[in-house]
Amino acid sequence: MAAITFDGVTKIFAGKPAVDSLSLHIDDGEFMVLVGPSGCGKTTALRMLAGLEEITTGRLLIGDQVVNNVLPKDRDVAMVFQNYALYPHMSVAQNMGFALKIRGESKDVIRSKVSDAAEILRLTDYLDRRPRALSGGQRQRVAMGRAIVRSPQAFLMDEPLSNLDAKLRVEMRLEIARIQRLLGVATLYVTHDQVEAMTMGDRVAVMRDGQLQQVARPQDLYDRPANDFVAGFIGSPPMNLLRAGVARDGDVTLSIAGQSVTLPERLASPYHLANGEVTFGIRPEDIVVGATGLRARVERCEALGAETLVHLSLNAKGASQHLVAKAGPRTTIVAGDDLAVTFALEHAHFFDVTSGATLRVGS
Amino acid sequence: MKTRRSVSPGRIALFVTMLAIAVAMLYPFWVMITDSLHTQSQFISGSGFSLGSWRQLSAALPVGRQVLNSTLICTVSIFVILAVGLPAGFAFAKLRFRASSLVFLGVVSAMMVPLQAIVMPEFVNITRIGLTSGYFGAVLVYAALGTPFSIFLFTTYFRGVPDELVEAGIVDGLGYVGALWRLVVPIAVPAIATVTVLQFIQIWDDLLVGLLFIQNTADRPITVGLAALASGRTTSIPQLMAGSFVSALPAMLVYLGFQRYLVKGLTMGIDR
Repeated sequence: MAAITFDGVTKIFAGKPAVDSLSLHIDDGEFMVLVGPSGCGKTTALRMLAGLEEITTGRLLIGDQVVNNVLPKDRDVAMVFQNYALYPHMSVAQNMGFALKIRGESKDVIRSKVSDAAEILRLTDYLDRRPRALSGGQRQRVAMGRAIVRSPQAFLMDEPLSNLDAKLRVEMRLEIARIQRLLGVATLYVTHDQVEAMTMGDRVAVMRDGQLQQVARPQDLYDRPANDFVAGFIGSPPMNLLRAGVARDGDVTLSIAGQSVTLPERLASPYHLANGEVTFGIRPEDIVVGATGLRARVERCEALGAETLVHLSLNAKGASQHLVAKAGPRTTIVAGDDLAVTFALEHAHFFDVTSGATLRVGS
Repeated sequence: MKTRRSVSPGRIALFVTMLAIAVAMLYPFWVMITDSLHTQSQFISGSGFSLGSWRQLSAALPVGRQVLNSTLICTVSIFVILAVGLPAGFAFAKLRFRASSLVFLGVVSAMMVPLQAIVMPEFVNITRIGLTSGYFGAVLVYAALGTPFSIFLFTTYFRGVPDELVEAGIVDGLGYVGALWRLVVPIAVPAIATVTVLQFIQIWDDLLVGLLFIQNTADRPITVGLAALASGRTTSIPQLMAGSFVSALPAMLVYLGFQRYLVKGLTMGIDR
């Protein structure tokens, strides 16, 4: 087992950087989730670690060894693919023991390791079956089994749950996290699903356009996003990002869609807020619907059972901005209602309009 | 409860058409078998039954030896075609290298060149390097003619194999050669069967290459033997029919044996 370090790693495809100067350290035993939208470079980063893509510049280390020019077979990493990539002509046991067989392990060792892994993954009854005779969840577990029998230095997982239905995905999410903690192997897990990122990772790295945006513990990522992209990507529904005017005179007056909100000095002080414009961020659960506050019209409601998402339009003096608030499950709010909303400003965020970076002091 | 398919006029027309095609295809075999069971005089008179032509055939031709020659030539040629076609198809389908599309186009365009167009230059070449005495010259020519098609077929087939399967093998500790032989070839049986059957039939039935490139009469295949039989001053039709049946039988058996893979191999890609 070993730590993994991306040290300024860049990958250029057709003259454009798919991964741009990525620096990321994954501790031994840590579960790191790499998350971002399609095409952000997360899978390319994973494939470079596996040795399936060459590195254009930078250094990639597994433990203390630079592996830029080390062949995949000599890196001692195990990978779980999105479509599992099970060998269709082999049984489950043969699939799981294949890497050990290539390594020249004895039949007894292979049998014993496969049997142990099958027990952890609850696959003992399926060892003689071919992959085509298994369900999606079972195939996924076989793919996991193929990785864990090797006792590798690191696990690499490329969206391994994306082919499963919603219920199974939740089950396997817990299962993978359980097995990773049991084995304590450094893991790089790639996903575009922010729920997987938040629930599985010890830390989460957010990528966009090949560049790392922020690395933090899931709750820190949620509470203190480094920029408006992370703020909008993490959280479901995402943070509301509204254009706001700032007028500073002791307290701060925010002008949102032609309406004013006063931000007390004690809440404004953690941010660099100067007169001008900022991006004001507020999460849906931090919006309170009541009798007083900013005037808003309900555009539509989405009842999700446990809660209701209320889509609102803030309108005044010809300006209009859209936001989403959360209401209780049995709310009486309906589309077309005119409401007043207030913000829990102690949870508000402010970002630079141009760069998108947080205006929090010390960030 | 079983439900009976309705017998529509369209289905009847289809059945009749298929029956007519089957009769047209099988009729030559019927003629071959029935005519071989006559003597020459019975054949002319149109009645009688005799196994005489079969006995004469084995006296006139070294049938066993020539069938063995054909089998050897086919087997070795197909082995060479597969040994070249499988790695080349894998490389074109799965590896990224400079100008691969152009090279692939060049290889595939070789399929368009008819044997007759290159047979004389090939003959000169093979004669110059002294390979016309045994089987080897013919094997080389057959391999050269069959390889472009096999590369085309394997490339198409391997493009349908997920890249992740190969990559999983690479991460598990295989090289590209290991991934080809241990992961890809075992699931390429339909493509291998297709190449084998089509090349077997083509090589087994060929006369020209055997006639030109195998100068030693003892090494000649069955098709050349039958041609010699037909070119005598008097030709015994029943004897020729018996020889033709012996010649056609292996190709039919190979076809029937691999038929289910052949359909899969030729229709691959349609269901994706």
